Amino acid sequence: MKLVVIKSHLKDAIGIVSGASAENANLPVLKNILIEAKGGKITLAATNLELALEYTILGKVLEPGRATIPAGMLAGIINNLQTERLNLEEKNNSLDIKTDNYHAALQGISADEFPLIPKVKNPKGALVIKASFLRDALAQVVFAAQPSELRPELGSVLFVYTIDSLKLVATDSFRLAEKTIPKQEFSSTQKEEFRILVPLKTAQELIRAFRDDEDVTISHDESQISFSTQTISLVSRLLDGRFPDYEAIIPKKFSGEISVPKEEFISAIKLSGALGTRAGEIKIAIHENKKSIIISCVEQGVGENTYALPARVHGEIHEASFNWRYLLDGARAIAGEEAWIGIVDDNKPALLKAPNNGGYFYVVMPILKA
Amino acid sequence: MDLEQLWQLTLGEMEVQLSRANFATWLKGSRLVDKKDGVFLVGVSNNFAKEWVENKYQKVLLGIIRGFDDSAKKLEFVVDHRTSVADPTLKKITSADVRTFGNQMDLDFKVDPETNLNPRYSAATFVVGASNELAYTAASAIVQEPGTKYNPFFVYGGVGLGKTHLIQMIGNEIKTFHKGKIRPRYVSSEKFTSDIVWAIRNKRMEDIKKRYRDVDVLIIDDIQFIGGKEKTEEEFFHTFNALYEHSKQIIISSDRPPSSIPTLEERLRSRFEGGLIADIGYPEYEMRVAIIKGKLQEHKRSLKDSVIELIARRVKKNIRELEGVLNKILFYQDAKYIDIDEKTAEEIIEKSVQNFSRRVSDDHILKSVAEFYHLSVDDLLTRGRKKEVVEPRQVAMYFLRDILDMSYPYIGEKLGRDHTTAIHAVEKVNQEINKNSALNQKINIMRELIYKN
Repeated sequence: MKLVVIKSHLKDAIGIVSGASAENANLPVLKNILIEAKGGKITLAATNLELALEYTILGKVLEPGRATIPAGMLAGIINNLQTERLNLEEKNNSLDIKTDNYHAALQGISADEFPLIPKVKNPKGALVIKASFLRDALAQVVFAAQPSELRPELGSVLFVYTIDSLKLVATDSFRLAEKTIPKQEFSSTQKEEFRILVPLKTAQELIRAFRDDEDVTISHDESQISFSTQTISLVSRLLDGRFPDYEAIIPKKFSGEISVPKEEFISAIKLSGALGTRAGEIKIAIHENKKSIIISCVEQGVGENTYALPARVHGEIHEASFNWRYLLDGARAIAGEEAWIGIVDDNKPALLKAPNNGGYFYVVMPILKA
Repeated sequence: MDLEQLWQLTLGEMEVQLSRANFATWLKGSRLVDKKDGVFLVGVSNNFAKEWVENKYQKVLLGIIRGFDDSAKKLEFVVDHRTSVADPTLKKITSADVRTFGNQMDLDFKVDPETNLNPRYSAATFVVGASNELAYTAASAIVQEPGTKYNPFFVYGGVGLGKTHLIQMIGNEIKTFHKGKIRPRYVSSEKFTSDIVWAIRNKRMEDIKKRYRDVDVLIIDDIQFIGGKEKTEEEFFHTFNALYEHSKQIIISSDRPPSSIPTLEERLRSRFEGGLIADIGYPEYEMRVAIIKGKLQEHKRSLKDSVIELIARRVKKNIRELEGVLNKILFYQDAKYIDIDEKTAEEIIEKSVQNFSRRVSDDHILKSVAEFYHLSVDDLLTRGRKKEVVEPRQVAMYFLRDILDMSYPYIGEKLGRDHTTAIHAVEKVNQEINKNSALNQKINIMRELIYKN
């Protein structure tokens, strides 16, 4: 293999695919990036056997071929080179990188050892969505996912496709986030509704990898899903298991409804949380005048603080305690200027959303009083 | 030759030809799923393995298989989810997390907000055996005609023996049997207490009264916890009377019979004793086997019969523990890609069960038994044959044998007796347990005392 490539392109490609590389005692080649030159295209690939990322860049291919080089080492070199154009050449599993004044000969592992990246077979149609939209939607839910020993299936983002929407849902059983993407936002040739579990790591890599505003094509079969644009392709296994029937726990009736300016609400949460209590517990109470809410935090031996936040309030006077970080996560994920909070009582889940909904809500469990 | 043997032989040859790393990465956990008209279906652990094996090893594999079975024409590959591995590094959610992050949502099942019943507890998954037959029969009768026959129905038994399953099952069955015309409501006594506390604080007692008196079947779990909480007991007493007078069914569970809940008020105790009291005992061997088989079926898994029997033999006292051991064995099978044999199962059981009993010392057992009978440890050790100490002493010997698996000579020595006396004592208690339910009950409570401290 012999090729000439623009450094910045190579740097982008390495930055993205290295997210899929992994240390593996049995298969050391997994910590390497595969560079493959074929017909004017140069493709970089990495995989951890759960997901694989491929990134195609343009360059001048003098001789087609393949090489694998440890991701960390390759990134370290390419990121620090100043020259624009790089000459790469593979000889006996080693890769030479040359510029006018730099030369490196890197030991790799034979490209024949590199796993073959599986393809999604016979998908029943595909969804096409703008990368930026998918990325933002995922970012609104992905932080709520967290697998546990008993529930490995919660280490995932649930994708629910129905005729009129695509829903993304994640939960760790303490809080839950759901984003609904209406059908106007994507195009579909998908013939069947589906409900699949995309692993958390895959969702995180999606947010990281799809930076441009290209169209992403999503297709899947029984065991895999692929997300691809002109330059990037991500293939991942789907998670086995049944996502909980979460619809039942979404509160529908509230005894107290609060509307607050979002940024102020976020500051108030951070202020109360700044006390750094052990449990991270802060209390939200509706003031008796029903014109403000009181956000407070008390910890013995540390101190206490109270913040009165002007708010529009409907319903009864109620208070509930939450983990401030969880509350913050939800408040941040809401779009727009206003936040709407619905409280049922002090041991039922509360709901956060934008007042006009915006296709997104966040459910969080209160901390039960001892 | 069956598929499993054939595949073992094939893997044996492959292992010689491949590097250890390649073999471990691509072929570990694979199996022959099926064979039909010369087409062999090979299950591998993930899509990458499928791609790799299909492209790189297909020819070699087919060659080897043909060597054993000349009908082989073709190999096909599938991703076999049976072999997917659970991750043991995942976090356990502890009660500390609940304090920090909030309660956990009930994601498991749609717990019906009207009745509070969890549909998981169905009659289909309830295993009936000699130890719970009476309770089950009574339950079935109640399902058909709630409020008429056995009212109140009081179920008691040790931890993890299926009380909650039984009483929730009654609620669920009533709902389906009477097509929603009869409204059951399930509540844990903890929730009942917290509701009362809430109502007192917020002056909303009427709401609570209405909520609990406006049902047709009230199911209360773990009633022993309301003992000693005066206001809650009183409110429960009134609720009980209100329901009872209107022939509404009341179902109660506890870890011991009413007579053994010391803090329970006398008037409540006599109410409880007015209906049917049924106990759930330890499941016998056949029942334990049936439970394990049921669980395996539920998870669509299988284990060798000898392993199932081993688990049933070794884990006797707690169905929850039985499930725990079973899960551990299944997990081990996944993680190591091997079929569990008796030896490995024995080790796993040993580990889980030992952990449990290692915390318990012989002196601790003697102390707990003595305490239970209001005696001192010295009373147990004296040579006297007074009636008051005979039973305690025999029970102590029984526990030393049963929990710590001590030798008879050692037990004898510990209590200043001959080893034949020890043998006699243990045998006697073992027999009595099955005949004498009062003794059985005492033993259960003592066992919990021993493990609790």
